[in-house]
Amino acid sequence: MKRRTFVGGAAALPAMSLLSGTARAQSKEIRMIESGGASGESIQKGYIDPLFQKTGIKVVRESPSSLGKLRALVESGQTSTTLFELGSGVVLQAKKLGLIEKVDWAAVSPAAMFPEAKDEYGFGYQYFSTIMAWRKGVKEPKNFTEFFDTKAFPGKRCLPDYPHYCLPFALQAAGVPIDKLFPLDVDTAFKKLNEIKKDVAVWWKAGAQPPQLMKDNEVQYSICWSGRVVGDPAFGLSFAGGKADLSFICVVKGSKPDDKAAAWKLMHEMSLPENQAKAAEVISYTGPSPDLDALLPKDKLWQFPTSKQNKDVQYFENAQWWADNGEAVNKKWEAFKLSL
Amino acid sequence: MSDIRLEGVTRRYGTFAAADQVDLSVTQGEFVTILGPSGSGKTTLLSLIAGLNRPTSGRIFIGGRDVTNATAQERNIGLVFQSYALFPHMTVLQNVLFPLGVRRIGGAEADRLARDALKLVRLDGLENRRPSQLSGGQQQRVALARAVVFKPDILLLDEPLGALDRKLREELQVELKQLQRTLGVTTLLVTHDQEEALSLSDRIMVLDKGRTQQVAAPTEAYLKPANRFVAEFLGIANFVSLPDGRQGVVRPERVRLSAGEQGKSARVVEAIYLGQMVRYHLALDGNQTVVAAVPFLGTAHAPGERVSVSWESADVWPVT
Amino acid sequence: MTRSSGFSFIAPLLVLMVVAFNAPIVYMLGLAFWEKGRGFTLEHYEGLAEAPVYLRVLGNTMRIALIATLANIVIGYPLAHWMRGLGSRGRMIAIALVVLPFWVSILVRTYAWIVVLGNGGIVNRALQWSGLTDAPVSFLYNELGVTIGMANVLLPFLVLPLFAAMIRIDDRLLQAAASLGAPPRTIFWKVYFPLTLPALAAGALLVFILCLGFYVTPAILGGGRVPMISNLLDTLINQIPRWEQASAISTILLIVTLLIFAAYRRLDRKASA
Repeated sequence: MKRRTFVGGAAALPAMSLLSGTARAQSKEIRMIESGGASGESIQKGYIDPLFQKTGIKVVRESPSSLGKLRALVESGQTSTTLFELGSGVVLQAKKLGLIEKVDWAAVSPAAMFPEAKDEYGFGYQYFSTIMAWRKGVKEPKNFTEFFDTKAFPGKRCLPDYPHYCLPFALQAAGVPIDKLFPLDVDTAFKKLNEIKKDVAVWWKAGAQPPQLMKDNEVQYSICWSGRVVGDPAFGLSFAGGKADLSFICVVKGSKPDDKAAAWKLMHEMSLPENQAKAAEVISYTGPSPDLDALLPKDKLWQFPTSKQNKDVQYFENAQWWADNGEAVNKKWEAFKLSL
Repeated sequence: MSDIRLEGVTRRYGTFAAADQVDLSVTQGEFVTILGPSGSGKTTLLSLIAGLNRPTSGRIFIGGRDVTNATAQERNIGLVFQSYALFPHMTVLQNVLFPLGVRRIGGAEADRLARDALKLVRLDGLENRRPSQLSGGQQQRVALARAVVFKPDILLLDEPLGALDRKLREELQVELKQLQRTLGVTTLLVTHDQEEALSLSDRIMVLDKGRTQQVAAPTEAYLKPANRFVAEFLGIANFVSLPDGRQGVVRPERVRLSAGEQGKSARVVEAIYLGQMVRYHLALDGNQTVVAAVPFLGTAHAPGERVSVSWESADVWPVT
Repeated sequence: MTRSSGFSFIAPLLVLMVVAFNAPIVYMLGLAFWEKGRGFTLEHYEGLAEAPVYLRVLGNTMRIALIATLANIVIGYPLAHWMRGLGSRGRMIAIALVVLPFWVSILVRTYAWIVVLGNGGIVNRALQWSGLTDAPVSFLYNELGVTIGMANVLLPFLVLPLFAAMIRIDDRLLQAAASLGAPPRTIFWKVYFPLTLPALAAGALLVFILCLGFYVTPAILGGGRVPMISNLLDTLINQIPRWEQASAISTILLIVTLLIFAAYRRLDRKASA
């Protein structure tokens, strides 16, 4: 029994390598783990569908994505998943842990891109903003100094339960301009947070919480993801002082060459502004093309993280600083949370 | 120690009467057994006296005090269940101390009383065992000790020996009787076992369908049953026609057998040896059967043999 | 002979258990002791000692778990006792109602509390309508919200074993106690309660241990204000990621849980000895 299996296996071996040889660069199906929801649908409509029409390559999506999952994938040595969506900070972590491959930018041969999206280890495919928003009818803050001024702008706040979403805004409230935020003055930021913590009703974990809490009138002001609040007449919002960040698509370490070749093709599709415009119909987060504004509806430009008017008033996430300091800050964050 | 008096005690469940107009008077120190088949209402009656249940009508007196509406813990009654109802989480000693603690008797005095009670039921030395570590007979003794340790006014026993095997049961019957006599406590026992009732009690009360059938001393109830039910429930009854057309009952011990021609002729159907006695099932002429119990004196009649059967007319008790 | 043949029957299951359940746990726990290429190390535990904040989160988790367990007992014990007094039909309905939450997703149940207890929720509207309060009462986004949510989710784990123990108590034991002169209070505290204590302890222990691992409810009903160890572990595993640190914390959590369990077993054996 054993022997027969062995012989059969040995016979199949050259046949298989032969097959894969002829099929090189022509994997017909690869798998991707992305963050799910509307974002996943935008990937489907904007990039996966056009890729299939042009090349016949299928991309199967799964969600959600987390660094823990990626680490488990790589450490277990499996190669079934090629593409993995990661936040900007997490890309650095994954790089440090050796969980992702370098991007072969020559093979991708992308259209024009904002420089920060063209990372050595990942394709920054989607800009998303973390901004201030409020329930219509309350006094409207113009910047984070006002947002954090709970006397002049009374009302309950809803802030993210993540230090990297909270501290830079607190620092702005303490008077630091957006181009001087990093290196982050952590202690000053926590001091500011301590001042308003009694007015923070909820520290949110899920992006769906702040709009719902504002609708229920549990809170009046939120720091939340722009895509969750734009276009809803119940809310007012401002990109001023907001954080622009990028989601990256990366290639899982140890992926097969054929799968990687298919991945470069998907990344090429992702760089095309016309595809990014299609994706922006599904979600109000935008791709990395500087030429995208011209393809987007004029009346909706105020909604997008990368439109000229918004990109200039936001700061861009400093993933490197967080990679270097994240764990130490997190300990302080946990201590801060215990003081609530 | 007190007397017990029931006046017209009735307990209804809907239209069904578990106890129906029961009257009973038990004098101080007396041992009375309530005897009846299952479903006759004897346990209901006991629970009414114990205060675990309330009568629909009628009154209950203990020691002259009307306790009809008193709760169980106000009645000062020692109650022993067939299932022992020992507290499984307590030791033997703790079980016996329980009623004393409730009465705010503690310390050395309680300890002495409890150990005395355990000695009375011959369980000294087993104080620190748990009920689960005892045999059925030992558990029942603990229940007895627990029920008498606080010197209750009356002692109620609900089929206390029903769960034990025959030999142990007979042993404990003797002990129970001695214990009752030692303590002089007014005692009511409920049982369906007529032998137990006859051997233990000063008087028995036969109950059927919630109604009193007869209250009398055991021998009287046996030899002079008040009615056909009592006659049949207590031992074996031979029913015979009286000259005046009424029915009478003759007990097997009163039936005489002889080889001669003095009585009615009968054929031996079955002969059963019971040690000192032989019980004969006899077929009289005319399709009537009679049971006779005669002392075994070395020889016995064999089935098929013809014998002569007779009884004194004084031994026939008329029943309705 | 019989024993060994029995073993051969369960051996495949045993192998599955070891491979599928035990091995990953051992691997996970081992992570804290092994550094790639450097071998055995205790630095991650030393790291914990240097970051007492993680231990404080663990302490906070224990405190919340204890409060939720006590709340569960306060609600669950009378509930189970009340169920014991019902007829067989009433019992069946009551059990169905108690078990019902098992069939509803924990997320749905958690969000349902927002509808009930939120500022504009049913309870607050009723309170303000009746004039009992002027401003909404903060039921949610604090420890109270977490306690309510966890008590709701975990109630069946306490009530079912407790109810099972209570219906096993022979009524005649209680009658015997009454006939021996005990008033209802004494009957409850000296007879009924001690007999339900093992089930109460087992149920409470189960609830407490489950509380330690709660994630969704504290995150949503606690409004992020109630740090729990599982949320911290999520951060350490999925965001930072420091699996080694997470493993060290998990090990401590496991040890604490086992210690509690051992203490319970000891008490239980003492009680039944």
